[in-house]
Amino acid sequence: MSGKASSDPSQVGLSGSGALSHVYIQHPPLRCNVPGTQGLYYDDGNKLLLAPSSDQVLSWKVGPSTQSDPPNSDFIGEGPVLSIRYSLDGKLIGIQRSNQEIQFINRESRETFSRRCRPDSESILGFFWTDCPSCDVLLIKTSGIDLLSYEPDLNTLRLVEAKRFSVSWYVYTHESRMVLLASGMQCTIFSGYQFSSGGIIRLPKFEMAMAKAEANHKPVLAAEDIHIVIIYGRVYCLQFDRVSMQLNLYRFYRDAVVQQGALPIYSSRIAVSVIDNVLLVHQVDAKVVIIYDVFLDCLSPISAPLPLLLRGSSVSGRQALQVEDNLTSAYGAMIYGDSWTFLVPDLICDIDNGLLWRICLDLEAIASSSSDVPSVLEFLQRRRSDPSKIKMLCLSIMRAIMLERRPISIITRAIDVLVTSYAHLVKMENAFQGGDRSSKKSQNSGSQSANTSNIVSAESLDETMNRGKSIIKGAESETQQSTIRNLVNVNDNHAKKSTSKASLDSVSDSDGDANLDAMRSNSGESLDKYLSTDLLSSDAMQDVKKNMKHDYLKQSPIESEGLGCSSSRSDSCISNQQEPQIISVAISLDEMYHFVFALVEEELGGDPAYLIAVIVECLRCSTKEKLRVHPNLYMMMIQMLARTNRYSELALFVTNKILEPSKEVALQLLEQGRQNFQIRKLGMDMLRQLSLHHDFVTVLLQDGYYLEALRYARKHKVITVQPSLFLEAAVAANNSQHLAAVLRFFSDFTPSFKLTSDYNRYHTMLIEMS
Amino acid sequence: MGLPAMAANEGIQLCVFDSRRGHQEGQELDKILFFFPSDFPYSVQLSVVGLSEGLITFTRIFSPDAACEVIEEERHSHVFYQAEPDIWMVMIVEKNKDNESDWRCDALIDVLKEAHSLFTMFNGSLQALLDKQPSGELARSRLYTFINDYLSDFYVGKKIQVPSFRDCLKERRTVQMLTVSREVAIEVQSLATVIGTSSLGSIACKSLILFQDLLVATTLSPGDTANMFTYAVLRLTPHALSSNTSSWTYLRRGVSGSSITASSGLLNSRSSPEEYHHGSHDSSMGEQSNRYHMPRPLQRDNWSKGKDGFLVCDIQLNVGGLVYLAPVVWLQQSEEHMYLCIYQHRNLTIIVLIPVCSQTDGEQGIALVKKQLLENASEKIVHVEEKLSRGWGGENAYHVSGYRYLLVDTDKSISRTSPPGKVMTLAKDSLFTLNKLREEVDLEKTRANREKPDQEKNLEICIRAKNNSWIIAKITQGRELYMVMEKANETLLYASDAVEKFSDRYCDGAFSLD
Repeated sequence: MSGKASSDPSQVGLSGSGALSHVYIQHPPLRCNVPGTQGLYYDDGNKLLLAPSSDQVLSWKVGPSTQSDPPNSDFIGEGPVLSIRYSLDGKLIGIQRSNQEIQFINRESRETFSRRCRPDSESILGFFWTDCPSCDVLLIKTSGIDLLSYEPDLNTLRLVEAKRFSVSWYVYTHESRMVLLASGMQCTIFSGYQFSSGGIIRLPKFEMAMAKAEANHKPVLAAEDIHIVIIYGRVYCLQFDRVSMQLNLYRFYRDAVVQQGALPIYSSRIAVSVIDNVLLVHQVDAKVVIIYDVFLDCLSPISAPLPLLLRGSSVSGRQALQVEDNLTSAYGAMIYGDSWTFLVPDLICDIDNGLLWRICLDLEAIASSSSDVPSVLEFLQRRRSDPSKIKMLCLSIMRAIMLERRPISIITRAIDVLVTSYAHLVKMENAFQGGDRSSKKSQNSGSQSANTSNIVSAESLDETMNRGKSIIKGAESETQQSTIRNLVNVNDNHAKKSTSKASLDSVSDSDGDANLDAMRSNSGESLDKYLSTDLLSSDAMQDVKKNMKHDYLKQSPIESEGLGCSSSRSDSCISNQQEPQIISVAISLDEMYHFVFALVEEELGGDPAYLIAVIVECLRCSTKEKLRVHPNLYMMMIQMLARTNRYSELALFVTNKILEPSKEVALQLLEQGRQNFQIRKLGMDMLRQLSLHHDFVTVLLQDGYYLEALRYARKHKVITVQPSLFLEAAVAANNSQHLAAVLRFFSDFTPSFKLTSDYNRYHTMLIEMS
Repeated sequence: MGLPAMAANEGIQLCVFDSRRGHQEGQELDKILFFFPSDFPYSVQLSVVGLSEGLITFTRIFSPDAACEVIEEERHSHVFYQAEPDIWMVMIVEKNKDNESDWRCDALIDVLKEAHSLFTMFNGSLQALLDKQPSGELARSRLYTFINDYLSDFYVGKKIQVPSFRDCLKERRTVQMLTVSREVAIEVQSLATVIGTSSLGSIACKSLILFQDLLVATTLSPGDTANMFTYAVLRLTPHALSSNTSSWTYLRRGVSGSSITASSGLLNSRSSPEEYHHGSHDSSMGEQSNRYHMPRPLQRDNWSKGKDGFLVCDIQLNVGGLVYLAPVVWLQQSEEHMYLCIYQHRNLTIIVLIPVCSQTDGEQGIALVKKQLLENASEKIVHVEEKLSRGWGGENAYHVSGYRYLLVDTDKSISRTSPPGKVMTLAKDSLFTLNKLREEVDLEKTRANREKPDQEKNLEICIRAKNNSWIIAKITQGRELYMVMEKANETLLYASDAVEKFSDRYCDGAFSLD
């Protein structure tokens, strides 16, 4: 299952060291150990790592890479800091000073105001900023939650609504926009709300089960045992049950919370990360990580538990190894150390050392650790993190299994996976280009507003419908994004793109939200319409527009998210941006031809039967999805069949149109039929059936059927073939009668033919012959 | 053994002889490899063979490359077929008073050709058999059972009925194909490749896939396909298995149960001709089959469907202590011996041909191939069968109203005809005229072929028959179309328009080139 991961020497360069691992953290980390700071706080709403010092706070933007830009700093005044969060528009900073007070600072005016709770009856558990339309700040107190709205004129917060119930502790992630509030003796009774831009959704109250240790001792659930994660756009809650040593998986629907099984745990301390929709369960004590692809309700791990690896930056060969060693000695001890805090969704913060690591998947290692190729391909096709690399990986896997001559059934399944995935992409593409985006959207919003709909995540409606199928459903909107990226990138040059994109990203991540809000308000209308009202549609704007579109779509899940679930996707997109050319993981049939069939042809050419079988399977899969294969695939097939003298099959393929008729195919048949008249005839028939009259007449002439050619030319009014060709053929046949007939034909039907030199020439010949 | 006793079979004589044998005085009988009816006195047999040989030698004086094909006498037609360089097959058919017995000589030659190619498929060439056993005993006994079994299909009552003018809208030795959509064709092809590659190691099996009595896919050469297809339709398809009861088949009408008993009775009651030739062994047919381990692939009721879906060839399973594996066929194109292995799922018949040379462990090897076939392909088989059944238009699927036609693609050895039931509705006159026309066309084709072998003859003939039907023959680029239109408009223009319409709609315009 695991063994092969890095044993292959060729992979050393990729996977860094010889150690086995499917998951790694990349050196260098983001360093934020500035002297004088006290602790590190992560503001997941703005993706900021915050380090407060005596009277100011340093903030690092956590981007796709962990390059350390110099931190920004803001004045926050003196006082203790329990937690700190920037508002989503970046104008305010909220600092919890004590369990009674939260202080707000206007970054521009430096004006401050505070919000306190009633000291006798309640205390503040925490707060967060929200982009939901009716409020800006949520305050969680032991007595309930306050929905507060910021009044910029008065520079104060107004209470919009207070929900009263007792709260022991809460869990919130900005990516899910969901807050879970625990209450009860064991803290197992949960109220949940989702504060998304689409509005507030109240989840039904539910209780988590906990195994009992002893008869009279009831364990109490702690906040650190609850993890909210988003996988394939679905919201899950993971509950670590320390007694039964398992991680219970709950999935949130709009009107229900359903337990979906449990994962075994082998450690008293665990952490959970989600990278590219892969669930990582860190068994901290055991210092290993187990990875799951919770796609269909399958809860078996993808591979064996393996350690988390520290990997140096991409230097190659021996040097890398050395770096590796140095790294290990420098940081080795801290892996899964006590000071590690796991941040949502894929970050590790080493508080003591002031380091921030990002967790990465080693897809090559995962792919090479399983022999079930179709499943590996399915897994890879569901990944979005590094499309070009995944694509190359999939292609090389395809080539390898063909060269290894794996059984056709395996190849078939593998091709099926890739073709299905591509077909899905094409469908999405068409949906966008066809302009039925708005209908899609209404479908989404429909699912939000309809009470009957039971699904939290935006795309899960589709998902339930497609449940049976496999690849597709995964990350629908992710596919959308990559599709659009693809479209965007087609005509763009890299440089332009990456720069403009970067700027737009930063915009959208901070106060550019205004834009998005405007778009949201337009939600039913098409993007283009919106853009055309605001932006000049000059060529120069075109790129911007594309990028806007891209960005808009990237963000669109949030908008349609109604339910939150999408920032994980935005995240994965952001991480994509390391690569300027962002492409989809899906492999088109053209690529399949160029990078698989064309490359293995030579090697497999000796055994055409096998390759033909594979091509037939490829045709079958593509027909099923109503896609067309690369025309050269037909050429390849014709060549192989003709070379091995399999005429009857070739004839069958042609008559049944398995080889789709086209001029190229017809010409190839003619070419291959130079030795075999029957094959040649297949080509001629095809020309005729395609109504390629000129070519048909020419071929008839070449074969010496000049009278037939003439008759055919007359019937189909072919005037593009030189009369001299017919005449020459008649001369070659040495038949004066026929020559006379042909001559007569052209004299009668072609005006002014009699004036041409051809006429004179052949007329003279005719006289000589007779 | 008197002539009068065999009056019932007097209508037809069929003999196979080797022109190199029996040149010495008193050894003339050695020439004869097969004679039907076998109870004809040797004197008569010898005179028939002698006459035939004489005619062949004589005509060769004028035409060294192609000796005579047909001799028409007042009361008999003789057709000759040079099956192998020195092996000749001759059929003599008596002309009856009634003009029912009007036939086309090429159709008769086709019977000989078919008999020979089927024989070769199961036994190898006669020459090879003679080389193997120069006394000719082996060849004779094989021919004896085989041709008698073959002829059993021609019995109508107690009389052999050779193809007559009523069969002029049929073409022997061609394949009838099922037309399928591209999608289904790909599914079928995918099944074929699975079968082809599912066998042991790198050995490639060949296969034919039939639905009902129609071919869907093949990986054999056109010639081998036609032979295998003919055999399948005769003995293997569900229809052939189930039935003596007459229903439709593209090749021939079903044979009534009584005729089978008649023919097999004939076989069993007769003793071998060898008895006369070589007194050396007192043989009965049964012992001979033991001795030469005689396969009788054309014997009726030989095949039955086993529980696992494979067809079982019951009779020779254990002959004289020899375990008979599976019938072996000889492919002309690849010159290979192949085990015949047939799987049937509802109306889908899959013929898998496994190279004999690949199977060193015989029975077990075949069992393994069968097992693999089931493992790898059974799902696909069910799937394909469903798809084909869904698209199946019934036995009249290829009926085109207003037309009675025969369409032949000589390159691919494929033909398509109006359903037999529809052909039967034609007036006798129409068929009679068409038969004549076809005879003319046959002549024209042979002539053209002799003059310009590399050029394909194109021709078109339209005849207004006595009963005012249109009889049309059209040959273009190796494709032939024969057509009868009754109750049609009287103008020639109408007739040629009708052909054009038919060609455009059902032949991809192959016949509307000018």
